[in-house]
Amino acid sequence: MNSGVMTDQQQQLTDGRPRRRRTARQRRKQLVGLLFVAPALALVLLFFVIPLGMAFWMSLHNWPLLGKPRFIGLGNYARLLDDAQFWASMRFTVYYTLIVTVAIFSIAFPLALFVEKTRSLTKLYRTAFFLPVVVGFGSASLLWAWLLDVDSGLFSPAAERLGLMDQRVNLLAGFDTTFWSIIIMVVWKTAGFNMIILLTGLQGISTEVQEAARIDGASPWQRFRRITLPLMRRTIALALILSVAGSMLAFDQFYIIADGGPQNSTVTAVYWIFSQSFGSFRLGYGAALSMVLLVILVFISVVQLRLLRNPEGM
Amino acid sequence: MRLLKIAALGATALVALSSSAFAQEKLTMWSRSTSEAFMPGLIKAFNETHKTQIELQIIPSSEMVQKYATAAAGGSAPDFVSLDLVYAPAFAKSGTLEDLTDLAKSLPYFEHLSKAHIGTGTYEGRIYALPMSADASVLLWNKKLFKQAGLDPDKGPTNWAEIEAAAGKVNALGGDIRGFYFAGACGGCNAFTFMPLIWASGGDILVDDGKRAAIDTPQMHDAINFYRDMVAKGYVPESAKTDSGKNFFGGFATDKVGLSPIGAFAIGNLVKNYPDVDFGVTFIPGKDGGKASFAGGDNFVVTAGRDNLEAAKEFLEFVYSLEGQTLLAKGGSLPTRGDVAAEAVKDLDERYKIATEAMKMGRTPTSPVYNDIFNSSTGPWKQMLGQVFFGDDVKGSVAKAQAAMQSILDSQD
Repeated sequence: MNSGVMTDQQQQLTDGRPRRRRTARQRRKQLVGLLFVAPALALVLLFFVIPLGMAFWMSLHNWPLLGKPRFIGLGNYARLLDDAQFWASMRFTVYYTLIVTVAIFSIAFPLALFVEKTRSLTKLYRTAFFLPVVVGFGSASLLWAWLLDVDSGLFSPAAERLGLMDQRVNLLAGFDTTFWSIIIMVVWKTAGFNMIILLTGLQGISTEVQEAARIDGASPWQRFRRITLPLMRRTIALALILSVAGSMLAFDQFYIIADGGPQNSTVTAVYWIFSQSFGSFRLGYGAALSMVLLVILVFISVVQLRLLRNPEGM
Repeated sequence: MRLLKIAALGATALVALSSSAFAQEKLTMWSRSTSEAFMPGLIKAFNETHKTQIELQIIPSSEMVQKYATAAAGGSAPDFVSLDLVYAPAFAKSGTLEDLTDLAKSLPYFEHLSKAHIGTGTYEGRIYALPMSADASVLLWNKKLFKQAGLDPDKGPTNWAEIEAAAGKVNALGGDIRGFYFAGACGGCNAFTFMPLIWASGGDILVDDGKRAAIDTPQMHDAINFYRDMVAKGYVPESAKTDSGKNFFGGFATDKVGLSPIGAFAIGNLVKNYPDVDFGVTFIPGKDGGKASFAGGDNFVVTAGRDNLEAAKEFLEFVYSLEGQTLLAKGGSLPTRGDVAAEAVKDLDERYKIATEAMKMGRTPTSPVYNDIFNSSTGPWKQMLGQVFFGDDVKGSVAKAQAAMQSILDSQD
């Protein structure tokens, strides 16, 4: 986007001969602007572009954790096409992302609507719903790993004591119970964050518009559908992109709670990259997998931005 | 200006001198956290009696490999490392380790050092690693529960049928008590305790010098059925299905499990921390008798490119002396030198003798990709065990694991 603007202006510069003095000032202005963004640019270069380039360079090598790297061109990428576990992990990650995103929004949206209205204890509710967000994903996972434990945890023994089950059920022994336990945990952990984002969107809608609609006799559902939702398009896009990108990169909860089990059925894409890089010591292959995941993520984000772009163009 | 240069040069020289002087006096050594019970004591005893000094650093077991690999690449690796013996081939192959062949051959008791350790320490005919500490897998049974179930508390089972029958009787006691325990979602634990069942029945895991996987065998299927039966009959606690090794030892220590295959490390731990658990130790048997054991533990390795062989020899001679071996055994490691082993454990718990004997016949699959195949939580071994013990498609899972292992073995170069 930046470069697009630049070239436009440069074109103006070369065309606009008669306006020489203005051009000089403009140029100086541009230089100052560049100076202002320089620190940010340097940071991006140092901590994103260069490492990305290095990761790509690594992905072209057989790069063991021990020993010397050897250039193999696109060998890693060719191997990756036949890597059944990677594609299974990719499928699982997409499935998880779809389910968890729907789950998060179906909880976060009502929560946002609920805490938006000022009533007594609003602040308490907001804080309470947001509280799990400040727990790190790692510690939250550890907490839930304990809650889900069959012998020393909470859910199974409690269900047995209360007489809901004849005997204790190991929730982490089957795919469905493991998967849904983790979904619930993630919703508990992240719904508060999405609630806050959606809340800022809700509060950005001027009350006059809502009032005008009410006077015109619009029902609450109509107001939600025709006013609230369209005006929150951008907020929803932000929350959605953050949630989808975060879910596509899920790792901690599956690593800590389920250990990828039962039988590798909850190994996410990042988990597989981690285990290839540091379990099997194939850093080059891990880098190649990361590149593919990056491309997929960028693609998904672009599609989302396209879909959620305002119809008017901006 | 000139003065400054001279001063700078002088300072550099001084630093270089002092660091080389330090290197000669104080050597660094890493050891993993599971060896915390015996390594500090051993090093302390060595430092007290020798001019060469070793500074020991304990590294969390799960981080050891990455840490040593990255440190070696960056030139900041310690001089010596006590490394899980299964990783020796991977490090030897990468050129990180000093060749110890001549040193090893110069030891008069070389023939008596643990064969399993030397086996994994040998790469392409040269020896890169020597035994440091040892652990062997054995079968433990709970004497109190045996008595309650009407079994002879002083006689351990000698084949699979006896194990299953005993587990059934103990299980029948009811309540929280179960017959048999193993960590069902732990690749490393089951390499340690499940492979001996196959070896003792005449089967194997890796053949052709570790180049070929041979797991789709009748012995493997028999052993799988043996475990499956016990799981199906409810002899195994529900928690075993997802135990990734955290409770490998804890299961038996609860005093509510009849039998469990564990390592010799459990003996010292039970005696010290769970004195109420009255247990017996026996060999892991084959289907119709016989016995086998997985030899685990650590190998001693020297980081390549440093002139430390003299000091290494001095240290190893101390480790393999009767004093060193006794210190190791007291701390919970099995002796690594066969001809003084009996002497080293003579003052210890009677049950150590079984473990020491198990160690002598202990075996270890050797491969630079050991971690990838057996220990990795996403590897084919662990995945297969989960499917065959608790799933439905035994035949397909074994065949799939066999293919996956072979493909990893083939792609290692």
